[in-house]
Amino acid sequence: MKTSFAPVFLAAVAALALAAPVLADDAAPKALAMGAAIPMADQKMKNVDGKEVAVADVKGAKGTLVIFTCNACPWAKAWEDRIVALGNDYKGKGIGVIAVNANDPGKVAEDGYDQMKTRAAEKKFGFPYVVDATSNVARAYGATRTPEAFLFDAQGKLVYHGTIDDNAQEPGKVSTRYLADALAAVSSGKEIAVKETKAMGCGIKFRA
Amino acid sequence: MDPVVSIAAERPAGRGAGVRVRLSAPMCPRIRSFVPLGLCLPLLLAAAPAAHGPVLTAADAASVKKAIAAPGAKAVLVNIWASWCGPCREEFPDVLKLRKDLQSQGLRVILVSADFDDARKDAVEFLQAMGVDFPSFIRVGKDEEFMNGLAKEWTGVLPATLVYDGTGMLRDLREGKQSYATFRGMVEKVLQDGSARPGS
Repeated sequence: MKTSFAPVFLAAVAALALAAPVLADDAAPKALAMGAAIPMADQKMKNVDGKEVAVADVKGAKGTLVIFTCNACPWAKAWEDRIVALGNDYKGKGIGVIAVNANDPGKVAEDGYDQMKTRAAEKKFGFPYVVDATSNVARAYGATRTPEAFLFDAQGKLVYHGTIDDNAQEPGKVSTRYLADALAAVSSGKEIAVKETKAMGCGIKFRA
Repeated sequence: MDPVVSIAAERPAGRGAGVRVRLSAPMCPRIRSFVPLGLCLPLLLAAAPAAHGPVLTAADAASVKKAIAAPGAKAVLVNIWASWCGPCREEFPDVLKLRKDLQSQGLRVILVSADFDDARKDAVEFLQAMGVDFPSFIRVGKDEEFMNGLAKEWTGVLPATLVYDGTGMLRDLREGKQSYATFRGMVEKVLQDGSARPGS
């Protein structure tokens, strides 16, 4: 096999220089833009305590944290203790907190209402854990995966969107606590340094 | 002569003993004399026999990108899945069928498991159950680096299917479960463009 790598390299460089990736229009869902208002804020959703709660009902004086999460996803489970700790902590610091499960339990049995009640009790959720019964709240946010956090400021404008921290699997090896940093900034009226982050997660199992 | 090359899979220190993968590829030792192992690895992966069951090699984004950009493919489909992920398991047979159907036309399929370390065994078992007889990857390192390294547009949903052309340029990205027809359409569009990488 005779192989010349110089032309290959040059061709690759030329290709990179000439063309930007062309992706299908529907390739990736569009998430809520920075600065956007809380979507469907008045939509009532059933909480694990049986009451109907809307995001507007939990809105905090300094900000509001909406986390799309679920029972079944390994990423949601890996981050669960950290999510609960942050939620319980900042709830007392003027931040409204609500966890939303948009998964269709018809597709993931572990995400049924009873299982949510059990999980919230076991993990001591100090904030509502509600059912997005049509998955339309998740759609309105452009949420795609679990867990996925949206933090709004005191005026109800989106100031942080993304993941919890930079290591789901190994809490001991986290180097940047994105959501904790964003919460600390917004609760003290400061600018958030890193406003958008990503992580892998389970696709939300949207209801039809 | 049937040269055998041993590669220590790239596992970070402190996560147990590195897995040694024995692969047989007659052309690789010669190539290794003038290209980095990174380019040699995809050739090894392409040529490795199935005799020892599914081969799962730890890889970061750079390693996967090397496998994508290795010469010899007109289109490369990367499917990122996890053993616990229902939609991933459901679409998996269609990915394998597509590989079977379009490999002769220049399609390379690269499977990347996103399973956590403690689920590595589940990943291997699933590959075995699916009859995967070619080597694949399990991702290591931080999610965000991995995701941005492969496609900045990827929000992180699993499964994710990324299609690159022969030059290693990202051409399409789909999140969530897809049909065989969608996979085929994504790949055929690139195959028809004929951006085959020279030198293969």
